[in-house]
Amino acid sequence: MRDQFAVAEKALSALTGSESRLFEPFLGVLPVDGVSISTFGDFLPDETISASDAQSMRLDELQFDLGEGPSWDALETGAPVFEPNIRERPNRVWPAFSEAIIADDLGALFAFPLSLGPLRIGAIDLYTSRPSHLSDLNIQHTAALATVVSRLVLARAIRLSQSDIKGETDTRKQFSRREVHQATGMVLAQLGISALDARLIIQGHAFAVGRSVQEIAEEIIDRRLTFAVNENQIEGSHD
Amino acid sequence: MIDETREDRLIETFATLADTLVAGYDVVELLQTLVESCAGLFDIAAAGILLADENGELEVVASTSEASRLVEVMQLSARAGPCVECFITGSVVSLPDVEDSPLAWRRFRDSAREQGFAAVHAIPLRLRETTIGALNLLSTVPGALRQQDVRAAQALADVATIGILQERTLRESNSVREQLTIALNSRVLIEQAKGVISHSRGVSMEDAFALLRNHARSNHLLLSQVAQGLVDQTLVI
Repeated sequence: MRDQFAVAEKALSALTGSESRLFEPFLGVLPVDGVSISTFGDFLPDETISASDAQSMRLDELQFDLGEGPSWDALETGAPVFEPNIRERPNRVWPAFSEAIIADDLGALFAFPLSLGPLRIGAIDLYTSRPSHLSDLNIQHTAALATVVSRLVLARAIRLSQSDIKGETDTRKQFSRREVHQATGMVLAQLGISALDARLIIQGHAFAVGRSVQEIAEEIIDRRLTFAVNENQIEGSHD
Repeated sequence: MIDETREDRLIETFATLADTLVAGYDVVELLQTLVESCAGLFDIAAAGILLADENGELEVVASTSEASRLVEVMQLSARAGPCVECFITGSVVSLPDVEDSPLAWRRFRDSAREQGFAAVHAIPLRLRETTIGALNLLSTVPGALRQQDVRAAQALADVATIGILQERTLRESNSVREQLTIALNSRVLIEQAKGVISHSRGVSMEDAFALLRNHARSNHLLLSQVAQGLVDQTLVI
């Protein structure tokens, strides 16, 4: 199982640029019938990045349209949502979503949040057509894979936004680098994470607040913006 | 009289650089030593070395001060100013009075003026037909460099080029391009490490750089090794 997990983790990381196939490694390691990966929430548009089948796609679309459901709860609380028997013995009832899936061929539904540092990115939805449980190991693996997916999905969003405003980033690039690298060092020290993740958080934060990476880097260097770890959640705060 | 002591210092500088080249070293440390030597040898206030990245854009890899204002004036010079002119033509470009800057260089001129620089000299880092970067000498008084200063500065720039190539041979990498990328990446790592120290010690980026260098020196480690340790969080200064 551990080997399978390592394989899945590696397979995910290899899917940069082919994010629509991100569901594939999940099907290899988890006892589920369908997987979808979506972005929604504060700053990324409602979008299904990857879905294994029509049912998964439908679950995402319902939740986008209705603005409620397990994905929303997972993202809001920063914790997974488990519904081992969603139609017959639901843990929670959503007024519109529960009604909408009544005729669907659904047993269990699970949602895991996608986030990186202070950034809320989206969720992973897993379903089975008969009621079922995820083991503790399944849950651990899914949470770990969710971190890899968060990184890839955020990098994709930044990549797409940069191709929109390429001219602007090019002219800024020349002066931005040093400060951005310095700020990256500060953030990695604040959060105890890798330089790549720290850089991604700075870019993602800039994207989320609609400002340039350079401006955010300067705020970090001037200590006007710090990222602190609070009870397992990383938050950005301004002085 | 002055020339004699300066000749001694020049010999001393080349001896130091030769020692560095024979022993283990990293490119940024070598270039740092070089710009600091220039500041002591010539009648200048600041010096810096810029290398071209994969897009042909010049980046500051070493400078006598880490102050962002100094880095900025050199970056502006590399965009439209004596530095990029030197890089493109592959020959020494002297601007004895920044007030004589052509219109296209006005952003560079304003930045230089603001920081009290009156004259700038750019010396190419040449490798046969290719120019890989430039050495910049900034002075607070207007005036041209003496001919023997130009020769000495060109010799130092050549040592810098040799240093970059020598390290390339040691690493057995394939191209000058690759070697330049290593030097520039090593600078990225140092900037990140400055950020780590700045956060953990609550100091400015300049002080962070001084702490980084001191640690490397007193522990006989390469600058890039210390920087890597800090970024990987396996080392605390």
